[in-house]
Amino acid sequence: MVSTVAEMRTLTRRLISWTLVLMGASAATGCASDAELDTFAPQGPIARELHSRGVLPVFWIAAAVFVGITIAMVWLIWKNRVKTYDGDDEWPAQTHGHVPLEVGWTVGFLVTMIAVAGIMLWSLPTVDATETNTMAVTIDDRSVMWEPTVVVVGNQWWWEFRYYFSDQVDLAALRAHGDAKTLPPADIVTSGQMTIPTGEEVELIITSRDVIHSFWIPALNGKRDAVPNRFSPWKIEASDPGVYFGQCTEFCGLSHSRMRMQTVALSPADFQAWVDSTSTDAMEPTDPEALAGLEVFSGICTSCHLIEGVNDDVYEGADQASGAAPNLTHFASRSTFAGGIFNTYNADGSLNRTDLEAWLRDPGALKENYTVPGEQFRGMPDLDLSEQQIDDLLAYLSGLGAKPAGWMIEATQVE
Amino acid sequence: MAITEKTPLELGPGDSVRYAERPLGVFTRPQGGRGWRDWLSTVDHKRIGILYGASALFFFLVGGVEALLIRLQLAAPEGSVLSADVYNQVYTMHGVTMVFLFIMPLAAAFANYFIPLQIGARDVAFPRLNALSFWIWLSGAIFLNTSWIVGGGGADCGWFCYSTNSGVAFSPSHGVDFYAIGLQILGIASLVSSVNLIVTCLNMRAPGMTLMRMPVLTWMLLITQFLLLFALPVITVALFLLMFDRLFDAQFFNPDAGADPLLWQHLFWIFGHPEVYIIILPAFGVVSEVIPTFSRKPLFGYEFMVFSGIAIGFMGWGVWAHHMFVSGMGPISVAAFSLSTMFIAVPTGVKVLNWLATMWGGKLKFTVAMKFAVATVAMFTIGGLSGVTHSVAPADTQQTDTYYIVAHFHYVIFGGGVLGLFAGIYFWWPKIFGHFLNERIGNWHFWTILVGFNLTFGPMHILGLQGMSRRIDTYARGYGFEFWNMAATIGTLIIAAGVLLFIWNVAKSKRDAPHLPPPGPDPWDGRTLEWSIPSPVPAHNFDTVPQVHGRDEWWHTKYAENDEGKVVRVATVEEAAQTGEATGVHLPSPSFWPLAVAVGLPLIGYGLIFNLWLALIGALLTIASLYSWALEPVDDPDAAHDQHEDHSDDEAEATDPVAADDSTESDQP
Amino acid sequence: MSAEAVTADLDHTADDHGHEEHATTTGLSHTKLAMWVFLGSECLLFGGLISTYLLYKTRGNGRTLPTDVFDIPFTSVSSFVLLMSSLTMVLALSAVTRGEAEAGRTWLLATALLGGVFIGGQVYEFTAFVREGVAFTTNPASSAFFTLTGFHGVHVSLGIVMLMSLFVASLKGKLTQRNAETVEIVGLYWHFVDIVWIFIFTVIYLIPAD
Repeated sequence: MVSTVAEMRTLTRRLISWTLVLMGASAATGCASDAELDTFAPQGPIARELHSRGVLPVFWIAAAVFVGITIAMVWLIWKNRVKTYDGDDEWPAQTHGHVPLEVGWTVGFLVTMIAVAGIMLWSLPTVDATETNTMAVTIDDRSVMWEPTVVVVGNQWWWEFRYYFSDQVDLAALRAHGDAKTLPPADIVTSGQMTIPTGEEVELIITSRDVIHSFWIPALNGKRDAVPNRFSPWKIEASDPGVYFGQCTEFCGLSHSRMRMQTVALSPADFQAWVDSTSTDAMEPTDPEALAGLEVFSGICTSCHLIEGVNDDVYEGADQASGAAPNLTHFASRSTFAGGIFNTYNADGSLNRTDLEAWLRDPGALKENYTVPGEQFRGMPDLDLSEQQIDDLLAYLSGLGAKPAGWMIEATQVE
Repeated sequence: MAITEKTPLELGPGDSVRYAERPLGVFTRPQGGRGWRDWLSTVDHKRIGILYGASALFFFLVGGVEALLIRLQLAAPEGSVLSADVYNQVYTMHGVTMVFLFIMPLAAAFANYFIPLQIGARDVAFPRLNALSFWIWLSGAIFLNTSWIVGGGGADCGWFCYSTNSGVAFSPSHGVDFYAIGLQILGIASLVSSVNLIVTCLNMRAPGMTLMRMPVLTWMLLITQFLLLFALPVITVALFLLMFDRLFDAQFFNPDAGADPLLWQHLFWIFGHPEVYIIILPAFGVVSEVIPTFSRKPLFGYEFMVFSGIAIGFMGWGVWAHHMFVSGMGPISVAAFSLSTMFIAVPTGVKVLNWLATMWGGKLKFTVAMKFAVATVAMFTIGGLSGVTHSVAPADTQQTDTYYIVAHFHYVIFGGGVLGLFAGIYFWWPKIFGHFLNERIGNWHFWTILVGFNLTFGPMHILGLQGMSRRIDTYARGYGFEFWNMAATIGTLIIAAGVLLFIWNVAKSKRDAPHLPPPGPDPWDGRTLEWSIPSPVPAHNFDTVPQVHGRDEWWHTKYAENDEGKVVRVATVEEAAQTGEATGVHLPSPSFWPLAVAVGLPLIGYGLIFNLWLALIGALLTIASLYSWALEPVDDPDAAHDQHEDHSDDEAEATDPVAADDSTESDQP
Repeated sequence: MSAEAVTADLDHTADDHGHEEHATTTGLSHTKLAMWVFLGSECLLFGGLISTYLLYKTRGNGRTLPTDVFDIPFTSVSSFVLLMSSLTMVLALSAVTRGEAEAGRTWLLATALLGGVFIGGQVYEFTAFVREGVAFTTNPASSAFFTLTGFHGVHVSLGIVMLMSLFVASLKGKLTQRNAETVEIVGLYWHFVDIVWIFIFTVIYLIPAD
């Protein structure tokens, strides 16, 4: 009935060898590849401090306790196991407890937890405190002192980033009484990809227009929920130029898994160049195909999308439950589209026609959407475009905005 | 109640006239027996326990299939086994099923079966309410799952069902309606059951069974019932608000009207965090019975085990917002809840060390039950420690809503809860069914489950720290998620094999039982009262209600310590155990009314969703059944009533119609 | 121990110690203890509902708030009526305990009637509010208000059903001194519902919204 100890040993040995095989395999494959969302690879001072102050110390404490308890348990099992009670009338000493011992380890755990509490209190300010820093930004030929701030708005299933450079919009007031659905006009509105200057602590004001989302760029800081009717403060900072990846982490409905985002950090000079090129109205097309594309856009896409200089005078919000859709004014200046799930450009710098065409042909096949009969859309619906219309639209859209730098296109490619 | 308390019910020949009328005349009063109909009308706490256990294991398979679907979808990047829509429903229903339809009722099975046995009672305080709890639970469970067929799919909002994603605007199918109403029905069941079991524990202990002599399993189950008692009304409020929003256009979670979506999160987690302890404490109780038995030592630090359980129960109420560290509550709340979360680790750690101290110097015999129990301690320790790592709120901002959390709570709930309850199943199977589970297959079962479990959930720690989000139906290539996801899926298949081994074990053990020696009353040399009576337990439990003199009463009946502190046997099991041959113990009569009441509730649910007339029919059925129940005497006058020495413990379940009426009607929140 | 011996022992127990057999561990009857435990649970139900209202009481979405249409004098009167019903409930219990069936019946009926008046007042209040533009779906504040007071109203109504059941039982002669505890337990429930109302009335009606 009871398995013999020998049998158990065989099993244990098998178990150990299997574990070793697996660990070897993982070292070769799993851990070797670079993980863009790795929480153990901070790329900015905030994330680094959070990692070294908040994450690692408590991991070491937990690991120490784990090792202690495991060694004790293995030793107890090894030392005290018996095969059977048959014919064994000898009972071990019947200890019922030992109060000093109990008090001892209660105090021991208490002290450990006080240490953990210290770690928490020590690291809490790293994520939350906001120091007020300013940088000079030229906007519309006017130099302003900008407190780096981006309003981050979650939508099903994409992120919008709004930049207010002038001090005419009172962000403090916005944070206290704002309504995510009627935000004041911004100098730059972009989506899927947030651009920030390196070396600056950038404050984020995070909110949502429909359901709860969560904004997270693991390399730059932890995450913060985007809650409708709330404007939650958060901050990020990148040390070096680069593209940092993120994924919505609060379940936000049907296509939650396909709601990603990137943060592009540019050197202050590059950032100024980006501001210059994206704070303008959309470029006007010249070649006939792009003109035809503008025609298609004006006929179909304007019920949701906005392009400054094309339909901003008549635009009254998107036919979406959130009331918003990505602003396409500088579509081609971003190296990702469709909620951060596809690359706009191939690694060689050419337009990623494959995904762009597939997206325009049947977005629902790439990212599920739905519409309740008689109500607004959730996600980009199938527009029934002809191949000609798709070609025209691409000709138009690919001309909107300055093509990003080669390193940025390359950094966007996740392989 | 009063009437029976002051003058014990004596159904003398002349007395039964009082009950001659047959209320409503729908059902013939069921008599005890062994056919399937008797299971529908049973009020025996042991049969109800078995019903709970069997149904829970059925839903374990349902939830397990859902888990397999999830893992198949995530085995490789860009999985296409399920659409995003179906995936969201499957993962939601996996969580709901495993929590509400598997592990809670499995714990309820243990509570029903063993609380009366461990405290030396013949049944629970309210046997018919006990039946009602089970039938309401089952009707709620079935109701919840019918949404796959008639509701346009399962709920797709996650088991946590955060507002505003749970609103009609963002979840237009009826899945969330089924969730809201189904959980309310399940809540009624658990609430009725918790009142019943609390009264049983407090009021029906055998003479001498003081609170500090109660077996630890009973203690942990009692704490669990108190947690249920206070946690369920809070989720009930939340579910009502959600239901009113969805069905009657209330404005509780409509952000456009100025509502605060965090209200739901607070209400949900005020319930949801005690719920974690509701899940884990019964397993702690099981482990605290199994380890001493197979260490040949009493539990180390009984008082500390009990008080740490109580401490966990209390502190469990002050930590709910650690589920909301990134919701934007503000740094003060975050720091406060972070601190309270850390300090709940103290009593939990004390428990772990007490189990180890019990094994210290013991003679450890590794039966399958013992293996599961020790594995529970080991796996729970991992889950607890990963919990400590994200009790540090800033660190949690990197870990919450990633697979690190999925790994953490599966180590707690599966590694702690499920493995612990499996220990209980192997330990008490001979007591319940009168034959052992096969130890050799059990061994294979244990090792496959343990290996599969660790292979499934261990890698999720790494995945989470590599940044893999929770609740995603697919992930892209190139983020380094491929290898460990495949490993986890293989692990799940191994777990599935383990579950099949368990099913095979159950079948084979039953088939082999006639050819094997019966286990007898006390196969493991047990310590508590349930081992002093025959296996399987006779309908009346105890021939004579035992007199309790101390902790581990049954062990002390068999053994004593001599002057040198050596354990000597003072009585054999054959001498000391009860024979179960007593006749004439008067048991509460079976009743169909609990079942009838329970059938009405899902009708009300369907009615609220589809057609209010149906709700009216359901309400009428429930109310009529309640009144019929109230008018039905506890003891059937037609049943043999010449043996009136002990009408069991149902005395409180009033023979008076009005009184019975109270105890049922007020159970509905 | 042989089966016969067990039976003999049981017989003995039943004959001589039947009374003790039925004593409960705490001394409270199961049903009374169950009611106390259940009321503990009810506290959190109302706690959740009251918290919801307090969170939402000023969230009017630009429309009329419940606090704008409260008729404090009217609600004070109906609150007083409900409080009085606690008194009659006590009188009912004391009458039944003394074995005065008829007086007990009268007081039970009076309690139910006072409860009925309160419910009538609530129905009137609700309809008046709706006329004044505060309906269930108007805004988060109104949804929370109607849900809270509605839940309380349902509790009072269930209490009335219990009281009337006792009344009918008394008419049939089944409610005697021996089962006065039944009245006591219904009374526990009734007083609880009253106390909850005192709380609701103070917190919801009397403390002004800011």
